[in-house]
Amino acid sequence: MLDLISIELYKIFKKWRTYIGFIALGVLVPLIHIAMVLEGKNTINFMTRNIQESFVFVGNLLNTYLISYIILTSLAIHIPFLITLVAGDLLAGEATSGTYRLLITRPISRTKLIIVKFIAGWIYTNLLVLWLAFLSLVVGYFIFGTGELLIIDGQMIVIFERTDVLWRFLLAYGFATLGMTAVASLAFLFSSLVENSIGPIISTMAIIIVFVILSAIQVEFFQNIKPYFFTTHIMSWRLFFEDPLDLKEIFKSAANLLAHIVVFFGLTLFIFKKKDILS
Amino acid sequence: MIFILIIILFANIQAQTNDPNEIVKSVITKFSQVNDYEVDIDIKVDVEFLRVPESRAKLFFKQPDKVKLKSEGFALLPKDGIDFSPSSIIKGNYTAIFERKENLNGVQTSVVKIVPINENTNIILSTIWVDDKNSIIRKVESTTKTQGTYTLELFYDNDFKYPLPKQMIFSFNLDKMNLPQTFTNTTPKSSRRRFKDGPVIGKVYVNYSNYKVNKNLSDKIFEEDKD
Amino acid sequence: MNEQIKVIEIKNLSKRFNNLTAVDELNLNVYQGDVFGFLGPNGAGKSTTIRMLLTLIKPDSGSIKIFGKDLQKERLEILKNVGSIVEKPDFYGYLSAYKNLEILGRISGIEVNKNLIMKNLEIVGLASRYKSKVKTFSHGMKQRLGIAQALLHNPELIILDEPTTGLDPMGMKEIRELIIHLSKEQKKTIFLSSHLLNEVEMVANRMIIINKGKTKVEGEVKELLNKNRLFVTIEVEDGDSAIEILKNSRWIENIRNQINNTFEFNVDSKEIPLLNKFLVENGVMINSIIPKRSLEEYFLTITNEAANA
Repeated sequence: MLDLISIELYKIFKKWRTYIGFIALGVLVPLIHIAMVLEGKNTINFMTRNIQESFVFVGNLLNTYLISYIILTSLAIHIPFLITLVAGDLLAGEATSGTYRLLITRPISRTKLIIVKFIAGWIYTNLLVLWLAFLSLVVGYFIFGTGELLIIDGQMIVIFERTDVLWRFLLAYGFATLGMTAVASLAFLFSSLVENSIGPIISTMAIIIVFVILSAIQVEFFQNIKPYFFTTHIMSWRLFFEDPLDLKEIFKSAANLLAHIVVFFGLTLFIFKKKDILS
Repeated sequence: MIFILIIILFANIQAQTNDPNEIVKSVITKFSQVNDYEVDIDIKVDVEFLRVPESRAKLFFKQPDKVKLKSEGFALLPKDGIDFSPSSIIKGNYTAIFERKENLNGVQTSVVKIVPINENTNIILSTIWVDDKNSIIRKVESTTKTQGTYTLELFYDNDFKYPLPKQMIFSFNLDKMNLPQTFTNTTPKSSRRRFKDGPVIGKVYVNYSNYKVNKNLSDKIFEEDKD
Repeated sequence: MNEQIKVIEIKNLSKRFNNLTAVDELNLNVYQGDVFGFLGPNGAGKSTTIRMLLTLIKPDSGSIKIFGKDLQKERLEILKNVGSIVEKPDFYGYLSAYKNLEILGRISGIEVNKNLIMKNLEIVGLASRYKSKVKTFSHGMKQRLGIAQALLHNPELIILDEPTTGLDPMGMKEIRELIIHLSKEQKKTIFLSSHLLNEVEMVANRMIIINKGKTKVEGEVKELLNKNRLFVTIEVEDGDSAIEILKNSRWIENIRNQINNTFEFNVDSKEIPLLNKFLVENGVMINSIIPKRSLEEYFLTITNEAANA
């Protein structure tokens, strides 16, 4: 099994599309860093102008934590697009290149093949989030250092002690991988249906966009069904930046995402096991 | 004997004078023994919509009005509570009005109203509670044009050498903040959370410790940070 | 040849795609050591059958046994011993020939080492290109790499789907020689699909012709091709006088068709000289005598039908 997973990973990382996500983040995050070096003070002033009226404060608020938080807020809904590039190709890519015939005529069960590919896709997803974490937190640390994390939480300003932040980020990134895995499983499902990876990539993106738009419409009907959209829960890493943690919501979101993953994966397996390979 | 009695009597009379200008002057004179100080402070903020961890910082002061807050981490103090020196509380031209004598938490105090004459100042009216015996300010209540009313309560050690407090409680009214909604951490809990409209009372507790008084602080300390 | 051991046993195999019946109650047996020719025009159901043999497609009904084992139940065990090329040879173009073989070997669960891979690349003449990415390969090179991957895990049964398609005559000959070598020297059983009768004739010992998903002809290649009766097309100078002469002879029974001066006779190969002699002795001027094997004729007919359909 491990050998098969390593083969899948080898294949993934021999395709250049795999690097689009890494390159995109590798460009975007430093750009945000540069912007923050130049304009970060204004951002801080903007976020704190209300308390500046009444308070004098000192400390390094423009730190790697704040910037990582801003990056995660800004990019979390776009990283799925990068994930689908690879996840949507996992199965459809084999169909396009005709290599299903090579794989399935080998002594490997279809179930195993699906599991192996899913795990490889999941590892890719994790690596991409890890890369984001590295660029945001680690690179940011060398530019901006650490400090207290200032967050605008609804109508509240919350400042977390610097020693109270890192674990929140680690859990938030962990939770983000869960969300991204849900996205990957959806792309994987679509990937099992067609013979070209463009379809799954576009369909997955379309679904995310539609759900995000519906969530944003301030009509009661959409707001009522919003909690059932998996896109809502992709952003639930935010729950780790609350004090105290809202464990009930965290488990609810995690359960929702897990349920999506299980259903998407189960469907993929079901479809793939019955599928006639005609490519 | 009579001489001593007269002195005591005089001192007593002086301390118990109802002349507001005398009272204010005595406080300022008393504080003038402090040329500068450096002190460690612990700050605890109790404001409904401002969640800040307890922080430690250093506060530097130098006569007449230099103050500097320094901290390794994040620290925040109310603008009006950073400098409790009498000259800061009673700035510019003013009219002092003796109000009454009052027992404030077991301390005999004179209550004096300070009305600034200069129209440019933000303060409309301040009331100060001066400890008759020690010539120190125990409490300040100010009404401002823009920030509403705030109260400063100062607590001292029984055997203080300098007129410097060990604790300050700063109470103020604050309107609900209108926060920018970018990079907002929206969660189910934060969306449900509603603060009632209208001003709320906020409190900041500051504990002072480890005073280093009259060590001839360099002016450099008070310069703006370069960054 | 031991005809007792069935390597492939297909019974009543059927597969429909929507309204099209691709394979219809197909039966066939391949015995150990056979080079089995699986013939049929394009669209006859060959590919569908091969895909079912290799579990790419699930049959609607019927059964497939390979090595005496049920394919549905013991798929993994069976596939360990089957090497195949299905239709055009596709590989991971972004990987080298070597890496492609390495990956496929590892998926098959065999011990993969450089010697094994290079040996197989040498067999197909690609050893010098082992580092090249497959996307730089010509069709012929991919076809040969396809054979290398089919042989990689040293399977007992090799299923080759149109392995000479797109090759030049030299390449076709090499493949034929390789098939004969694999059969004779390595005692492999080979299932060879083709739409070319002469190709099958050159390498196969047994064959089946299918059309529209059904078995049409099945048997030993030699018997089917040579022992059968032939058609002879004889073109004469004057068809009218020739028919008058033939009317009074026993040959009238053998006439299959007449169009003007061209007659088609249904005769045994040994009788052709006798017919010729009879016509000449009776003064019929002959322009040409063209013998046609009936199987070839038949195959040509169904191929044309398929092409025109």
